Amino acid sequence: MPTATKAARSRSTGSALPRYLLRRLGTSIVLLFGVTLVTFVLTALVPGDPIAAALGEGAIQNEATVEAYRERYGMDRSLPERYLLYLLALVQGDLGTSIRTSRPVLEELSTALPATVEVAFAAIVVSLAVALVLGTIAACRAGKVSDQVVRVVSLVGLSVPTFWLAIMVYRLFFMQLGWAPGSGRLSPALNPPPRITGLYLVDFALDGDPVGFIDAAAHLVLPVVVLSLFTIGLLTRFIRSSVLEVLSTDYVRAARAKGLSSRRVIVGYLLRGASLPILTMVGVAFGALLSGTVLVEAVFAWPGLGTYAYYAAINLDLPAVMGVGLVVGVIYVVINLVVDLLYGVLDPRVRLG
Amino acid sequence: MSAPRVRRTAALFLAGSLALTACSGGNTGAQSESDDDTGQSTGGTLVIDTAFSLETGDPGRNYVPTGSTVLHPLYETLLTFEGDDESEPVPGLATMEVNDDATEFTFTLEEDRVFSDGSAIDADDVVFSFERLQGMESSKANHLVVGIEIEKVDDMTVRITTEEPYLQLPAIVTNPALSILNSEAVEENGGTTDDSDEAEEFLNGTSVGSGPYQLETFDLTSQVVLVPNDEYNGDQPAQFERVVIRNVSEAATQLTNLRGGDSHLALDLSGDQVAELGEDFDITAGPGAQTIFLLVNQDEGVFGDLANPSFAEAVRYALDYDSILELAGDGAAQATGVIPPMFLGAPEEGVEQDLDRAAEALEESGYDGETLTLRFPNDQPIGGVDFTTLAERIQSQLAEAEINVDLAPAPFASEIDPYVEGTADFAMWYWGPDFADSSSFLPFGPDETVGTRSGWTADDAPDIADLVTEARTATDLDEREQAFTDYATAMQEEGPFVPLLVPARSFASSGVDGVTYNSNWTIDIAELSPAD
Repeated sequence: MPTATKAARSRSTGSALPRYLLRRLGTSIVLLFGVTLVTFVLTALVPGDPIAAALGEGAIQNEATVEAYRERYGMDRSLPERYLLYLLALVQGDLGTSIRTSRPVLEELSTALPATVEVAFAAIVVSLAVALVLGTIAACRAGKVSDQVVRVVSLVGLSVPTFWLAIMVYRLFFMQLGWAPGSGRLSPALNPPPRITGLYLVDFALDGDPVGFIDAAAHLVLPVVVLSLFTIGLLTRFIRSSVLEVLSTDYVRAARAKGLSSRRVIVGYLLRGASLPILTMVGVAFGALLSGTVLVEAVFAWPGLGTYAYYAAINLDLPAVMGVGLVVGVIYVVINLVVDLLYGVLDPRVRLG
Repeated sequence: MSAPRVRRTAALFLAGSLALTACSGGNTGAQSESDDDTGQSTGGTLVIDTAFSLETGDPGRNYVPTGSTVLHPLYETLLTFEGDDESEPVPGLATMEVNDDATEFTFTLEEDRVFSDGSAIDADDVVFSFERLQGMESSKANHLVVGIEIEKVDDMTVRITTEEPYLQLPAIVTNPALSILNSEAVEENGGTTDDSDEAEEFLNGTSVGSGPYQLETFDLTSQVVLVPNDEYNGDQPAQFERVVIRNVSEAATQLTNLRGGDSHLALDLSGDQVAELGEDFDITAGPGAQTIFLLVNQDEGVFGDLANPSFAEAVRYALDYDSILELAGDGAAQATGVIPPMFLGAPEEGVEQDLDRAAEALEESGYDGETLTLRFPNDQPIGGVDFTTLAERIQSQLAEAEINVDLAPAPFASEIDPYVEGTADFAMWYWGPDFADSSSFLPFGPDETVGTRSGWTADDAPDIADLVTEARTATDLDEREQAFTDYATAMQEEGPFVPLLVPARSFASSGVDGVTYNSNWTIDIAELSPAD
């Protein structure tokens, strides 16, 4: 390619990316605004008085306390007024104050989210690694015994109820066999690491604490295994069908005809060709892991986003519910953005501008 | 990337990780301790699993069970209870004298007692702690101190006065919300005696009490860690080097943790789960302090022609209480009245099923076969009793008495509204004491809190309204006991409520002594010690 053409393309790509990111940022803001509106309206429609739910039997008899609560949490204002105030605070980075705990929602989410990110990230890495191998084997040996076995295994992964599996796995590996540690993120005798990222593995490593690091890693194993089984089932089936499609393309047949090694054909042609749909599905699965771990978190006493959302919902803690809705919205927006950007990296034909 | 480069990068990453983790770290010295601390407690770490209802580390703002469990060993109150004996408060930080009219309560502080920073406890700290709670109208515990006045008599004496006789005050001051705080430390960190108080954040990280333990870490969602208060000079020093109270919301996980040796005490097991455990575990099971009851609204505008005591009587005698009790497991008890068995005045015998009497009352009530709707909260089991299962049994028993009922379960947060507003016609709810005294169950009376919710006025039952006043304002202990007994008995005869059962509180432990249930703080961590 002539140098001048290369430089022009580079300039074009260089200016297209910021433009694309700005456009995505704009649509993301509109999307998140929609998320806040829908969440607010839905929480307002829920029958029940959040103040009555928060105060309980004793305190609700005290009019002074009821009034103080209504004023403090803006419940004495009209719905549009409350929503406007919420938005004004939001643009200043204030997600409100939890009715249940009287603490800033942002502060509470910044504690809960890393716990979920840590387990969900580990689960998606494990799931992707296993599913790539199983899905590719199944596709390359379509119709044979190994394909049937993989398909049954992935079906089982998809079918077994996660909550039940979590209880069974915990009883077996912790209580019966003693191979895994107990519930929570850390053994009771250990202190959490100084908070830097909120991710225990990272914070222990940065703090230079091998005991804490190993203990935190051991506590991750069972939740990750349980979360991975479903995701492995999902991704394996998807990867199998994506690879099967690519297998019948001319360029893969040509590569084989040229005598390239199987490994090179699989890595360089098959998986690369199937990477875009796989990437999309990985993004969806990761989003689902981040926002849907409530049952697994309950079994393993994992203080993450799911647990936080559960307590917020049963206590009708509206600011906390709004905060969770917004965080989940941001998670999906960011994941979609990353996936779209990776499209351009994996396939030069995709131009983001 | 070529294979050698990949290997080099991996080696560098591994070496980096090892180098980082090989440096001295916060838990390097804790490993041997943790090895010793699993299984039987040895005075080292005690691990307690419970489903958190924790909201704050500030005693003045706390009014939830886990908060009381956590705060009680950190702070002391003027009076307290010993173990599961809630019949009479005993001296805590002070002894008490009361005048003949039961309107003046004089508390004399124990000499030489100190807070966790070594400073002496005096009357100013007591007055500050009470006035702070009175000033914090946004505190859920504020209602405990409405209508009382506190004054300093001298450096070691305070006096609380009330307008009416108030023999429930001794029980009220045992509540952890009325803990005595180090006033100087709290004021230095934003504490005031009005609603501008900003000391909660400070108190979420530091305890400023005089209890045998002090706060090490406090996390509302995962765990709270207590360590001994080195300055403690009371008569019940800490028995463990470290107490970890963990949030384990699933009872099944609590059970597994206990059986696997990861915890020593599980607080939220159902009767069935407790029954699963073998002889290696100590079980503490007995009736709790909460009563599950049916409410029959007496407001015609709400329940039409059935708003009458006869219909409540028909329901009361239609039920088979032994069969209902089977659902609650070991340790639960039939509710013999609106006052649970552990409190003064509770009737000794409960109602027995009498279908003839039920049929007679049903005829009087004007019920003509219509299908009623039973409303109840279905997301908060009490003592392992699932409300939906209980409601189904009630439905089938009422059907045998020819009362047709549909069930309408709903989440607590939305169901509490009609209940509180008095628009629930036929409902199943529960009630627990605000403090360990029978007066906490007077709200069932006509024109009282729960009575009003059921549309029941003093005009409907003037005699019972008088009994409520008599019990509330008694100045003599014997008179008081009789008044509560008369009240509870009359409620069983004429009230619009059908007390069903008192669910069990079942605890299972391993290697721990001193586990007993107390309605104020669930368990007293200060009383726990390693098993002999």
